[in-house]
Amino acid sequence: MSRRRERGVSREERLRKEAEEGALERRQRLVKLGSAAGFLGLVALAVLIVVSQSQTSGGDTSLEGVEQVRHDLGGIPQEGMSLGDPGTKVTLVEFGDLQCPVCKGYAEEILTDVIDSKVRSGKAKIDFRNYTIIGAESTPAAAAALAAGEQNRGWSFVELFYRNQGIENSGYVTDDFLTAIARGAGVPDIAKWNANRKDKQILAEVTKTTEEARSLGFEGTPSFAIRGPGTAGLEALGFPESSEEIESAIDSATPKLAEAATTQTR
Amino acid sequence: MRVPAEGMLRGIATFLATFGIGVAAYIAIADAAGDAPVCLAGGGGCRTVASSSYSHLLGVNVAAIGIAGYALLLGTALLRGDGARMAGFALALTGFGFSVYLTYIELFRIDAICQWCLASAVLMTLLFAANAVRMVRYVGTPP
Repeated sequence: MSRRRERGVSREERLRKEAEEGALERRQRLVKLGSAAGFLGLVALAVLIVVSQSQTSGGDTSLEGVEQVRHDLGGIPQEGMSLGDPGTKVTLVEFGDLQCPVCKGYAEEILTDVIDSKVRSGKAKIDFRNYTIIGAESTPAAAAALAAGEQNRGWSFVELFYRNQGIENSGYVTDDFLTAIARGAGVPDIAKWNANRKDKQILAEVTKTTEEARSLGFEGTPSFAIRGPGTAGLEALGFPESSEEIESAIDSATPKLAEAATTQTR
Repeated sequence: MRVPAEGMLRGIATFLATFGIGVAAYIAIADAAGDAPVCLAGGGGCRTVASSSYSHLLGVNVAAIGIAGYALLLGTALLRGDGARMAGFALALTGFGFSVYLTYIELFRIDAICQWCLASAVLMTLLFAANAVRMVRYVGTPP
């Protein structure tokens, strides 16, 4: 009798152990399954990021200066064709032609210093306005820059274009070239950019800013103008020959500094 | 250390996911309006990040992806059972990985920090922790 009961108890114990082991195994299997699903999610995410990045920055392999432009403009807000804090009261305006080699040199040697000293610190912002005077290829380049500006990558586009500029009107401003610049500049939606750059309003804007440059008396590119509390509207600066000259113009247009300069001259 | 009850973990995850939907929706709405989220502590970090090419993945705003992710996480927090536990963990791990990637991009590629994105990263980290404990401790147990 007691032997039978003992046998019954050990059977129960064995069944309980088996059930416990089964539950543990099942738990381990489920944890592994959940981890595998999470791992798959991470892999899918990585693939998505790689594909997305290759679409936005792909095609820039033959471009020069992509990283340099990213570094130079990194951390500075861009809005439309404007670079710098949108709330700042002093605006330096560059009238340039993307095909113009002097503009390219100016951007690389002089404006870089101004961006570092005055724009990054929020003392001024710079607007780029197209002044298409070099030739037929200047207009599609200008329109493409404005379309990049619609996605707040205008200044990146201009800087990258300058760093990859070809010989004027040599036929280098092709759709492929412009698309590569747009991708390298980080334009998020290339299809939208492509549609925008052919828009009549954008082309009209190119004509408008070109006429504005002429009305300010500018005959070459780049030409500069400045607006701020210390100026009477948009004042023509012409062609400042150094970054110091531009910085001094920015100081004069800045409210407190303009006041101090006036007091000193008295 | 005492492991919180599953009900409490689900409650925490529900709160975090709801809050996450709010944060991501604010960023997405500001972007859709053609503006940028306003950094509460000032600075142009939010505008810089929002205008960056990294703010979109295959043309879709990452904030919209965030809303979808938080909504799915909310669903897994509200549901019971092993399916919800495992899906919650898998989603939270993916979301956490995405947050790590985005924070890296902000710090080392864009050189700007958006407080809203940072808030979302913190929420996603907490959601990952809650879902990890929920799955490891409670999967295979009765709901």
